[in-house]
Amino acid sequence: MKAGDALVLKKSDALMFFASLANEMRLVAPRHLFGGDVMFGVVESPKEIVWDYGHDIYPPKRFLLPHFEDMFRCENGKTARIENLADAPAQAIIGIRSCDVMAIRFQERFFASQIVDPYYKSRSDNTVLFSLVCNKPPKKECFCICCDAGPYLDSGFDVQLTDLGDRFLYEIGSEKGAKATEPGAYMLSEAGAPDFDVRRRIELQVDSLFETTAYIAKAINFISEDEVPSQVWEELGSMCFRCAACTNLCPVCTCYTVDDRPEADGSFTRCRSWDSCQYSGFTREASGHNPRPTFGARVQRRFYHKATYQYIMRDGKHGCVGCGRCVSACLTKLDLPSVIKRIRRAMHEYLEPQEKAAEV
Amino acid sequence: MKPVLTTCGFCSCGCALYVEPADSRVVGLHPSENHPVSTGRLCIKGWNATPAVMGADRLKTPLIRKADSLEPASWDKAISFAASALKRILADSGPQSIGVIGSAKTTNEECYSLVKFARCVIGTPNIDGAHRFYDASLIHALLETTGTPASQIDVNSVAQAGSMLVVGANVMEQLAHIGSRIQDAAENGCRVVAADPRTSRIAPQTSLFLHPTPGTDLTWIRALLKTIIDRKLYVDHAPEIPGFEELVVSLDDVQAGRLEDACGIDPDAVGEAAQILASNPPLVVMFGLGVLQQFESSRIVKALADVAVLLGGSVMPLRGQNNAQGASDLGLSHDLLPGYRPLTDPGARKVCEILWDREPPTEPGMSAVDMILGCRSGAIKGLMIFGENLALSAPNTEETLSALDKVDFLAVSDLYLTETARLADVVFPACSFLEKDGTFTNIERRVQRVRKVFEPIGESKSDLDMIADLASALGRDISREPAKVMAEISADVPQYQGVSFKALDESWGQQWPLKGAAPKLTPVPAAAAESDREYPFRLIASRVNYHQQTGTMSARSTVLAREYPEAYAELNEGDAEKLGVRPWQPIRISSKSGALIRTLMLSASVPVGCVHVPHFFGGDSPNSLASYECDAVSGVPVYKACAVKVEAVR
Amino acid sequence: MWGVTDQPSANLYIPMIAVVDEIIDETPDTKTFRLRFEDKDYAKSFSWEPGQFVEVTVFGAGEAPIGFASDPSEKALFELTIVARGKVTQAMHALEKGDRVGIRGPLGNCWPLEEVKGMDLIIVSGGCGLAPLRPAILHVLANRNDYGEFWLLYGARTPADRDFKYDLEAWAKRDDMHLLQTVDIGDETWKENVGVVTTLFDKVKVKAENAVALTCGPPIMIKFVTIELLKMGFSEDRIVTSLERYMKCGVGKCGHCCVNHVYICTEGPVFTYQQMQALPELRL
Repeated sequence: MKAGDALVLKKSDALMFFASLANEMRLVAPRHLFGGDVMFGVVESPKEIVWDYGHDIYPPKRFLLPHFEDMFRCENGKTARIENLADAPAQAIIGIRSCDVMAIRFQERFFASQIVDPYYKSRSDNTVLFSLVCNKPPKKECFCICCDAGPYLDSGFDVQLTDLGDRFLYEIGSEKGAKATEPGAYMLSEAGAPDFDVRRRIELQVDSLFETTAYIAKAINFISEDEVPSQVWEELGSMCFRCAACTNLCPVCTCYTVDDRPEADGSFTRCRSWDSCQYSGFTREASGHNPRPTFGARVQRRFYHKATYQYIMRDGKHGCVGCGRCVSACLTKLDLPSVIKRIRRAMHEYLEPQEKAAEV
Repeated sequence: MKPVLTTCGFCSCGCALYVEPADSRVVGLHPSENHPVSTGRLCIKGWNATPAVMGADRLKTPLIRKADSLEPASWDKAISFAASALKRILADSGPQSIGVIGSAKTTNEECYSLVKFARCVIGTPNIDGAHRFYDASLIHALLETTGTPASQIDVNSVAQAGSMLVVGANVMEQLAHIGSRIQDAAENGCRVVAADPRTSRIAPQTSLFLHPTPGTDLTWIRALLKTIIDRKLYVDHAPEIPGFEELVVSLDDVQAGRLEDACGIDPDAVGEAAQILASNPPLVVMFGLGVLQQFESSRIVKALADVAVLLGGSVMPLRGQNNAQGASDLGLSHDLLPGYRPLTDPGARKVCEILWDREPPTEPGMSAVDMILGCRSGAIKGLMIFGENLALSAPNTEETLSALDKVDFLAVSDLYLTETARLADVVFPACSFLEKDGTFTNIERRVQRVRKVFEPIGESKSDLDMIADLASALGRDISREPAKVMAEISADVPQYQGVSFKALDESWGQQWPLKGAAPKLTPVPAAAAESDREYPFRLIASRVNYHQQTGTMSARSTVLAREYPEAYAELNEGDAEKLGVRPWQPIRISSKSGALIRTLMLSASVPVGCVHVPHFFGGDSPNSLASYECDAVSGVPVYKACAVKVEAVR
Repeated sequence: MWGVTDQPSANLYIPMIAVVDEIIDETPDTKTFRLRFEDKDYAKSFSWEPGQFVEVTVFGAGEAPIGFASDPSEKALFELTIVARGKVTQAMHALEKGDRVGIRGPLGNCWPLEEVKGMDLIIVSGGCGLAPLRPAILHVLANRNDYGEFWLLYGARTPADRDFKYDLEAWAKRDDMHLLQTVDIGDETWKENVGVVTTLFDKVKVKAENAVALTCGPPIMIKFVTIELLKMGFSEDRIVTSLERYMKCGVGKCGHCCVNHVYICTEGPVFTYQQMQALPELRL
């Protein structure tokens, strides 16, 4: 088994295959909650895996960057003994989609850049992703093709599955993927031309099925050059409900806050939890001064981080994978596609008159 | 571990919340995609719900007062201490000298059991709920008009409205899911008419934003009614609706020429509003605490209900608390039996006698405010408060604190050692909504399950357990099993017929049905509050997005507290200049009842002659500026538009 | 032009324990804490440069970023000068000798003292901004021949509000540097200048072509000082300051101190004016 291998896994063997993984690692997959809700969580058996889910609001990023993570515990200041609480269970995330895989790669690169974050690194080292190609957009909010993050990947995956009907095309994309395949390798056979044909047909027809678009490229220029008028940002900011769902549910976002939580025995636990640049308190200093004092400034910040070439240079790609969660989760219309649309419209409103004035 | 599906304990939207525990920690928290209200979304409070109710300083043991301090004690001791005190008072002064005040945050099972405890175990008529301090004025006012003391529509229907009238409500900040639907509606062409002295965040959605002088809503709404009637903008069958004639007669004195002086609204604007609301069905009329805590609140609610009935629209009172609806439904009121049945209703009395083995009184007992006054006068010798920080939510804080301090016996149940709990003789540590089973009823009358995620912290208990313990110590039996209590509720309370834990487990809650009673119109005579030259400013007290009521819970979330670190007040720039006060400087706002110091900020959204004081976390509250003056019909204190003066702090 | 040390911090998130050896009252709201690591081996290997900072854990209160304020030739026993402003710093002020704190660091980049050898130096500071500059000042004085003319301008609200009064006394007596002090409000004993720190500039004789300016203090002071320096002919890459932001992790991950695409905690806190002008959120 090595990266680059293309194999086939019969659907009738899939349960057994994933069960074979369960000896080495815990399985994380989409599973039913209540009333049609499907979310990623730890499953006891591969039977629980839901392969054809639509929305899954709570992103699988939380299995590498937990929503609430205890970092270490410290006995009271007198003795001050510190116990590292880092935990990085071996896990396979099954049924994750290309957009989320790209997001995780983005985060891995971020957390390893300059100074390496040990908690994220050990979790990602112990995580193998079994992603599933989307034969059609799972929900109307998806726009991964606008972000070059799906519906299938050419590289960057560990194992990529494509549903070919009665079988999966099983592509190995990394050493980690190859190693994870070993226990169940005997159930796999080599892929052949017919398998690639089906896959090719899926690839060719999936693009036209997307309903949501985000023509990000031009907006990146405007935002990077700081050309978007501040009244446009303020207009957008005036709509915001400050719930921070956009950043919580974004699989790319990484900001967190750190709190020391006192325990009953006098010790304290330092924990980190998801934070958001959309909160006004995110940058407010102890003196009361806030470098980003308005809602418009904070919306601008989010889009600066998501769509500028300054960040593309740092991170290798822009900060959106088109998963569509912000479209579902926003209480108003501050999801990325809507804001990009608004910015493009603003540029016609503001730049064209200026250009005409310059001509005159 | 699998996440537990429960219902959020903050506001009345009642979003579904999945909370994932690991040992005693929260490791996951997220909304439900398919829940009809949350639709995959939560507001800032929902996302930060768990730290708010599981703060480090949660009360973990009962406390009993010894001289000046509260000492930890066992539950046995605390219950028997309370029981002895109650027995003593019952023997010496009778049941009418005991008062019980319940919460708009506790579960339906707890509210119902508390009513039973008060009326049949203690035998006192003095049982009331925290909604007395917030929105109780909607109850009788809507019973007499629409016939439904609750919202007539679902949250999702708001997005389908053709027009809306939103009065006295900071809905975009306080009820985010409703605010989101208002935005959707406006995008689809809905015409929103808002009224608020201050320009709030609903402004971008409005076709028309009226800014009445604080405390004058009745005046312009009467003018609106008169315009609708004079111009025949009402639905065709309106003249046949019972009460139409009386309403017309009651509006005889309305004069367009005097409107602007009386309330600051141009009669043309009222005309425009009438036109918009009449020509864009379906109409939704919404109102919040700006109306419900105002002078003559019951009359204003009736007037707004009349607008809706005349124009064939629906009413959605914007209640704030997670279980304000349930608490009212289940009779946590001094003047009603569960299900809004009058004390004199023979059918209800019979059920009471059969189920509770006790004849209910025929006269209303003391309202919550009267109970506080009773503590001051000595008429109340024992007061029990479950889950409400009265010291900050009641008016006239100075007098209230002194009354609570003075009363012979005070028992308080709460999550934290609040300002109220500090005055108690015995404090019962309550567990949060994450640590118990039960139900809440949201703003759209949807009864939903609250499910236990964690074991109660320390020795805290659910209010249901406490009530059962107290009843037992007084020789009576109250069930401590929520499912059994709900079975009793569904047998007793007409609206809750058919509700069961089993049915709730198989659905996204059960909405109690609208009765289909024919609406009525009621007359709306004039009334005007007096102005006071010594206190020339009008108070605008509001609530901000990150903060819930007294802030007991929200203060414990570092994210929520971080959003709102400074207790501030806002003035119009012109007023600030006249007073000689500068931003970031402290100012004193005072009334006949109390005073507050706040840091001044300037805002163009505050009208001249007004000072805007948002509620802050703990310590003090703009409620301290209000007196014990209450709405005559509902007994809700007049918190809004208080006459105050503003000065620099030297 | 700005220095980055390549010594990685020994513990990314987990602090090392240090003991409070001494507490010096600088002003009514400022104290200097002298700290010593408990682990002697770690203390021996600990090294830092002027301009860098540490994240200090006050047990039970939380963590805050504080710049080194002591003599950089003494690595293991270092000082932090702290104003009691927020939750953590107020808790710090309640500590006593012998109490323990947590230290993560050194973090951030440093004043470009290597790069400016041979040049004239003007250091302009206000209020508590003197503290992060003090290690640079002490380094320059200890290596006096490596640098040209040395001007130190310091402004405070009142004479009592000045930090490091003991140092200022000694520096005033030196003949190898020019010390100019000013206060907003004087008192009976104050003989020096009264006015904001920019009022000292007409006394400064420095040729901008071979000089560099280091400045630290309240943002409004930095703004006006920068205007003065530009007027004097300083180029944008010769004006260096230390920026402050609300910080949490201190290692460029949590996002709080991020300004445009730059993390103040790792690519700063020391920046040139030229670098700041390239960031829309920082433009003065």
